[in-house]
Amino acid sequence: MKDEKKTSRSPELEGEEKREHGKNRDHGHDREKNREHGRDKSREHGWGRGFGRRHPGEVTGKYQLKDPKNFLEVQNLVVEYSSDKKIVQAVNGISFSLKKGETLGLVGETGAGKTTIAKAIMRILPDPPAKVKDGAVFVGGRDLMQMPEHKMLKIRGAEIAMIFQDPMTALNPLMSVGDQIMEVVQIHNHYTREEALEHTCKMLEMVGIPRSRSVEYPHQFSGGMKQRVVIAMALACNPELLLADEPTTALDVTIQAQVLDMIRDLRDRLNTSMVLITHDLGVVAETCDKVVIVYAGQAMESGARNDIFLNPQHPYTKGLFGSLPKMDDDSKRLSPIKGLPPDPTDLPRGCPFAPRCPKACEACSQDASIPEVEVEPGHFVKCLFAGKEDA
Amino acid sequence: MALIEVEHLKKYFNVAAGINHAVDDVTFNIEKGHTMGVVGESGCGKSTLGRTIIHLNQATAGTVRLNGEDITNASGRKLREIREKMSIVFQDPYSSLNPRFTVAETIMEPLKESHRYSKAEIEEKTQALMDLVGIEKRLQNAYPHEMDGGRRQRVGIARAIALDPQFIMCDEPVSALDVSIQAQVLNLLMDLQEEKGLTYMFVTHDLSVVRHIADDISVMYLGQLVETGPTKEIFSHPTHPYTKALLSAIPSIDVLHPMQRIQLKGEITSAIDPKPGCRFAPRCPYATEACSQPQTLRDLGSNHHISCCRAGEI
Repeated sequence: MKDEKKTSRSPELEGEEKREHGKNRDHGHDREKNREHGRDKSREHGWGRGFGRRHPGEVTGKYQLKDPKNFLEVQNLVVEYSSDKKIVQAVNGISFSLKKGETLGLVGETGAGKTTIAKAIMRILPDPPAKVKDGAVFVGGRDLMQMPEHKMLKIRGAEIAMIFQDPMTALNPLMSVGDQIMEVVQIHNHYTREEALEHTCKMLEMVGIPRSRSVEYPHQFSGGMKQRVVIAMALACNPELLLADEPTTALDVTIQAQVLDMIRDLRDRLNTSMVLITHDLGVVAETCDKVVIVYAGQAMESGARNDIFLNPQHPYTKGLFGSLPKMDDDSKRLSPIKGLPPDPTDLPRGCPFAPRCPKACEACSQDASIPEVEVEPGHFVKCLFAGKEDA
Repeated sequence: MALIEVEHLKKYFNVAAGINHAVDDVTFNIEKGHTMGVVGESGCGKSTLGRTIIHLNQATAGTVRLNGEDITNASGRKLREIREKMSIVFQDPYSSLNPRFTVAETIMEPLKESHRYSKAEIEEKTQALMDLVGIEKRLQNAYPHEMDGGRRQRVGIARAIALDPQFIMCDEPVSALDVSIQAQVLNLLMDLQEEKGLTYMFVTHDLSVVRHIADDISVMYLGQLVETGPTKEIFSHPTHPYTKALLSAIPSIDVLHPMQRIQLKGEITSAIDPKPGCRFAPRCPYATEACSQPQTLRDLGSNHHISCCRAGEI
């Protein structure tokens, strides 16, 4: 282990030096400054691809858990990607919380930063290019952003698990599905091979796959079955928090219905808290207790499911509902949102939705950030017009 | 009057494992100016059906008539002629545009190919088409990779309507787009239909989109038509067990009245060398002995047809 540390450190140092001589002059300066204080800032978060070799961060608790009843609490999360000379502002100060056993839906369009949020919580964002600039993620009272990587390894997969969007690419094509599930089980539990195998087969049966199929490879399964395998893998260590990133988007409606029913059933049985990422408002309506509407990496509106669906306040939320073809409405014209989502490398000042908003006025593009207004208990809207007489 | 008449249309593919009955004995009509929605799960043959109708695939058997004229085996000059009358909007607006053609070049291509217009006319028509589908003039020299999905799909639509076709087969034209953009494109398609009296065949797996845009709906399962009829009728009185399950599976945004879901067992299998009889029977909760007999499309009145031998009982 020690040897590994040494060997793996040297290329990293080399890389750092190269970078300092390279384009990122500013970063280089930062680093030098920090080194004067005896520490490299890039290590403070304990981030990155390195397994256990980075040092724990010592960021003094800028953020504090607001409510001890919250199982997951994300505060002011900011994530940026740097590509070429541009900086992509993917997540811009989003906050939300979740109690034990609850399900929260993160809803937004392509590029709104939903997946980045989930990956930031899991701390599996590739660094570079991604960088968590600010914020805290409390899970069970601990701030994951300050967790050293070796502890994170124990948490990831055991306490927090993720279901990925595309089951075709989430599975290793060279390993039988049984072995893939068993890998997680063995890493996080002190099981013998037999016990682990037994546990794996039980997981497969739980998601409706006969245990005899554990020796088969991913290509022998259909899309829906593969997604079941991915779900079995995510649930194998009975995680307390499940991050489901568009778990049914790649599936047909009847299969989607099966998989969603299964996820709901397992969640209720195991009392798992869940963050469900989706662009499908129908899926949210059927699955979630709380909803956060994400636009340009910010929470435009958040609240209990019924608050959002029965009393949407933010113009963007209203626009989303207006864009949906309704099943029980015969009006033949949709009322879509004008224009396009903003360029994340060049976000508008103030409200990011203002250029597309039918209600926007000058003030919307002036304030540096729009305050969140609590229009009813637990229902927050990030809009200057929120709570003021309805238009 | 029916613009498109499809009778006992079959399209089989030879594959390694046998013969894939991708489209098997499909019969329906599309009225002039109407939109026919074709729905079903992936692999049920809905795209193949559309492509066979507009002659991108040669049919294995059966007939397709356009304005009463048999076009199933058209070739040569005749085929060119009918291709001007029928066009297609593809699912993926990126891979269906030539990456080395600018917007204007893409839209011009069918106009040039028709050899009917002078250079000036082509220029003028291209501009008019761009206006019509809502692409800004400044984008005429842009390449597909410089545009977003919604705009690309608008280019695809402009190309499809360039020669004033009568019939457009829309193959999942909005499924690659975000909801807010999807609504813009759907509105555009409906405006064009109104303006030009177009007839659409709208292939999709998204039932709420179909409910919105289609006058008639055909539900397909493994290459066969299981139910067809007016949209309202299908949505208010779905009769085939598969249609019922499909409709109940749509996640609803109505939080106060959640829908009772019919859970289907198993998954869609394949149409390679299928057994005779109802192909849905292995997943059907009502299947009996009689279902292994070949099924025919029965008329339930008011243009509502269904292929299920137990239709009256369940």
